[in-house]
Amino acid sequence: MIKYLIQKEFLQIRRNAFLPKLIIMFPIVIMCVMPWVMQMEVKNIVVDVVDIDHTVESQRLVQQIAASNYFIFGGQKATYADAMKDIEKGRADVILEIRGGKYLIAANAVNGTKGSMGSAYLSQIVTSNVTHHTSNITPLTLYNKGQNYKLYMIPALFAIVMMLMTGFLPTLNIVGEKEAGTIEQINVTPVSKWSFILAKLIPYWLIALFVITVCLLLAWFVYGITPVGPVWLIYVLAMLLALFFSSFGLIVSNYSDTMQQAMFVMWFFVVSIMLLSGLFTPTRSMPQWAYLTTYINPMHYFIDAIRTVFIRGGGLHETVHQVLALAGIGTLMGCWAVQSYKKNS
Amino acid sequence: MNAIEVKNISKSYGRVQALCDVSFAVGKGEVFGLIGPDGAGKTSMFRILCSLLLPDAGTAVVDGYDVVKQMREVRSRVGYMPGKFSLYQDLTIEENLNFFATLFGTTVAEGYDSIKAIYSQIERFKDRKAGALSGGMKQKLALSCALVHQPSVLFLDEPTTGVDPVSRKELWEMLLMLKESGITIVASTPYLDEVRCCERVAFLDQGKVRGIGTPDDILTQFASIFNPPGIDKSEGLKVKSEESENVIEVEHLVKAFGSFHAVDDISFSVKRGEIFGFLGANGAGKTTAMHMLTGLNQPTSGTGRVVGFDIRTEYEQIKRHIGYMSQRFSLYEDLTVAENIRLFAGIYGMKDDEIRRKTDELMERLQFTEHKNDLVGSLPLGWKQKLAFSVSIFHEPGVVFLDEPTGGVDPATRRQFWELIYDAARRGITVFVTTHYMDEAEYCDRISIMVDGKISALGTPDELKQRFHQPDMDHVFTYLARQATRSDS
Amino acid sequence: MKQFIAFVIKEAKHILRDKRTMLILFGMPVVMMLLFGFAITTDVKNVRTVLVTSEMSPRTQQAVERLAQSEYFIITQTVNTPQEAERLIRSQKADMCLTPSPSPKGEGSSNLQWQIMVDGSDPNMAQQWTTYAQSILSQPVDGKHYSLPSPFGEGLGVRLLYNPQMKSAYNFVPAIMGMLLMLICAMMTSISIVREKEKGTMEVLLVSPVRPLMVIIAKVVPYLVLAFAILITILLMARFVLGVPLAGSLFWILAVSTLYILLALSLGLLISNVAQTQLVALLLSAMVLLMPVVMLSGMLFPVESMPQVLQWLAAVVPPRYYIEAMRKLMIMGVGIGEVAREVAVLAGMTVVLLAIALKKFNVRLK
Repeated sequence: MIKYLIQKEFLQIRRNAFLPKLIIMFPIVIMCVMPWVMQMEVKNIVVDVVDIDHTVESQRLVQQIAASNYFIFGGQKATYADAMKDIEKGRADVILEIRGGKYLIAANAVNGTKGSMGSAYLSQIVTSNVTHHTSNITPLTLYNKGQNYKLYMIPALFAIVMMLMTGFLPTLNIVGEKEAGTIEQINVTPVSKWSFILAKLIPYWLIALFVITVCLLLAWFVYGITPVGPVWLIYVLAMLLALFFSSFGLIVSNYSDTMQQAMFVMWFFVVSIMLLSGLFTPTRSMPQWAYLTTYINPMHYFIDAIRTVFIRGGGLHETVHQVLALAGIGTLMGCWAVQSYKKNS
Repeated sequence: MNAIEVKNISKSYGRVQALCDVSFAVGKGEVFGLIGPDGAGKTSMFRILCSLLLPDAGTAVVDGYDVVKQMREVRSRVGYMPGKFSLYQDLTIEENLNFFATLFGTTVAEGYDSIKAIYSQIERFKDRKAGALSGGMKQKLALSCALVHQPSVLFLDEPTTGVDPVSRKELWEMLLMLKESGITIVASTPYLDEVRCCERVAFLDQGKVRGIGTPDDILTQFASIFNPPGIDKSEGLKVKSEESENVIEVEHLVKAFGSFHAVDDISFSVKRGEIFGFLGANGAGKTTAMHMLTGLNQPTSGTGRVVGFDIRTEYEQIKRHIGYMSQRFSLYEDLTVAENIRLFAGIYGMKDDEIRRKTDELMERLQFTEHKNDLVGSLPLGWKQKLAFSVSIFHEPGVVFLDEPTGGVDPATRRQFWELIYDAARRGITVFVTTHYMDEAEYCDRISIMVDGKISALGTPDELKQRFHQPDMDHVFTYLARQATRSDS
Repeated sequence: MKQFIAFVIKEAKHILRDKRTMLILFGMPVVMMLLFGFAITTDVKNVRTVLVTSEMSPRTQQAVERLAQSEYFIITQTVNTPQEAERLIRSQKADMCLTPSPSPKGEGSSNLQWQIMVDGSDPNMAQQWTTYAQSILSQPVDGKHYSLPSPFGEGLGVRLLYNPQMKSAYNFVPAIMGMLLMLICAMMTSISIVREKEKGTMEVLLVSPVRPLMVIIAKVVPYLVLAFAILITILLMARFVLGVPLAGSLFWILAVSTLYILLALSLGLLISNVAQTQLVALLLSAMVLLMPVVMLSGMLFPVESMPQVLQWLAAVVPPRYYIEAMRKLMIMGVGIGEVAREVAVLAGMTVVLLAIALKKFNVRLK
């Protein structure tokens, strides 16, 4: 009988005014816009130069700054105070003052990353320009040799796909049936708990897999990025994450009466889970209390594992720990979800 | 002077013509009925008169003001209760009433007299949230909210859908009181007794006025729609021998919510093939009892067996052998007719080719074949109801439970619906039905009337009429329900 | 007036009775502030470093110790070959690997040769780790103490303005304000208006003698109060829990916020005009408002690094100007004159949106 239920879900998805568009648009937006947005790379920093010395050397420096793709030359300013005005107006980010052979870099550090990265880049240019010394340290970057931020973010985007497709959509669907009263009709039929839940989830899982496949292909065609590790492992990881998000969504829908409530509760938890997962910032930089939460954060395991597979080229052997953790958390949540859904009160 | 003058009003939504060249006039202080089948354009007419909707053509004047040009004047003079009047679910009864009273620039104390008859029934629960009320009680509260102020013109769009007969009578007594104070009332209703309370009625059908006149004139003129011949009960009636087995057996069933006993110790049994009417006022406990029998709710105490299974422990087996049609319309509106049938038949384990064959048969029988691939959401209410019933017995269950299946449709459609019920009963399906239409009660083989969570009468319609010395079921019901001491779910 | 007050009270009851939503509305700012203030940092910390060496000269030893003593790096283990180290990095057991090699210029040279192998998946962090490690390793060997990161020789000073400790909270607090005020004002107002449409109560409200404009204002007032309560909560938390300075004038901060709240409310009204169901209102506000705020307002990702097209798109996202203005007013402590441009843009947008919203408000059904 589950066949009929699944068929019904697909028909309803197809008839929905919004969902088919979402399913088509979603991977395109995710792959064609998001990688451009989600970069922490610091670029186009506007530098104001206050050159009191006016030497050949200082002019060469200015040329170098203008040529660098990190910086935009904001202009020469007569005094430091003038340059500060620019910073206050938000027209410049960094000031370089050259006075009596000494260099002063003043960076607007309201945005800490931008400030520190900007001043670090700038001081590198200045140092190499002034001292001409060669470093005795050779850095070697592994895996992401081109320092491509997109490569870093694209696997993380899969997490967002799974979250929306297998977490939010089924939840809204179930709460919608609750509000429309059709769930009561289903509850007086011999449909078992399991078939009902599975019939709700399977269509969205299939759609999520479809979307991921499209995303992988788009990453390949648009950016030339392909996973280094085994592709099947990416699907396994995505399915495990889907198990968690679906269960979580079911639990939320079982305890909420309106869509608004369900959305807010989901959103609240999902944002916290995402921010603490290492999707945007490294988990190791977190304070101890926050780091401890990553042990129960399935998203953290997912992000770690998928980046290992996608970028570092790890296989099952390298990610076995994460796979087990994800499976464990997912199963636990799944049991809770089935437990909390009641046909009979 | 006329309170309302409607001249050549037309309105269409896309290709659908809702109103076509409608004209009528209502005198000051008149009680005017707007009647007609579902989708006749009644609601559109009300909205235009309230200045909520712009007509495509024609003019309408309410209390001397044009509804298009003088919107503000119109709005400060009319009262309107829309068909799906919805209260604020998270506010209590009292808060809802207070809010609407203030909104209309009056107070509950000032308007109390005009709502007393209805409001007093729910007043003792005034601290309860509106969301926790049963359907009929919500409707009573909505009526109280709509009537708390006294506008010069009052529009009521099917105000009594889902309200029990006793309360309906009380409402109309109230409306006639309002009329005394010079208020013009325009109401729509599917109930014939209410139509007879109007001074004049306009019969709308497919957006056109078919006739205007006194209720009796109109009802006679369109007798085929309003007064279809009763169903001949003896016709082909099954042999219901005394020894036929019981399909439903209930003993001392109780459902308590805290200290409140929604269902308070009821016992009865229903035989195979019987049409059993389960009557009661709003909040008497009908829906709760039905939920226990269908396995949606666990009883607090007592025992019951449905199609041979225990309702406490074997409710999953019960679900296999029953059909259910709930008060809230419950087919999927975004699926087509055929898809809905396929879904529910599939759930009950029917095979694909069997489903296909039986679907064609059913479509033929209902003369529905050309609408097989229409979305259910686009069908008129009466069709949806017939369809929902057909779907609920598609898998040939032992018993089918119908919770107010015919709310809000015209007599002719209801009659067609009952033909379907008789058809099912003839095939040996037991029918367990709740209703607020007393003419439908007459169609049942046996009836129980619930008052305050208890069954206060049980028997065939004729037996009950004799026992309580009343001319018809309406009077029997009124007689019993007036003895109620509580009205709550 | 009595009707107006009754209306506001009714609306306030709707908000207060929905305990779960209330909890989230106030829990959200608190949790977000704590997360962004403390947990979301890109500081270089606890970088797991593997050492590849068979034997260690005293010099190497010293340098490695210096590295290990810093709070930035922890030496997790020592392996024999770079291949082993690479395997460790691949399976997420280490982030960086350090290989000392004999100096080509002979033992006498004061320079040690190092090779740093770093997990480059995250380019930014890889860059920062390398810079930090370089600066620690290249310090004079005899110097007992280390400092960071000023390996730039004499004559070069670096000054980090406004935020010398580089706390990320300085950057996030204005962004969180921009996001939450938008969420509460726009999303909640639009949903609450659409809910009345969906449930059919709007018909009754419209037909009642109350002016439609009053219905709207009464709906908006409780959310305005709520928005202010949340604004104050955020500001207090920023000041006393996260230690973010409120350098500018409090008056102007509140004044600009009020302008922004009005803007958000007009957006909410506009959405409620378009949407017919709560679900659509929810999705519209989530996609049209929330996503751009998070993505394009410069909250997490710098707008300057984006392609031109996206920068143009970002230019029409209202929160961007608010966040910009708040950063200047709150953190940099500039006068109102310096944010005139932002304020002017916000004011312009408010007037236009409010005009459209009021003009489009349906006093009738369709």
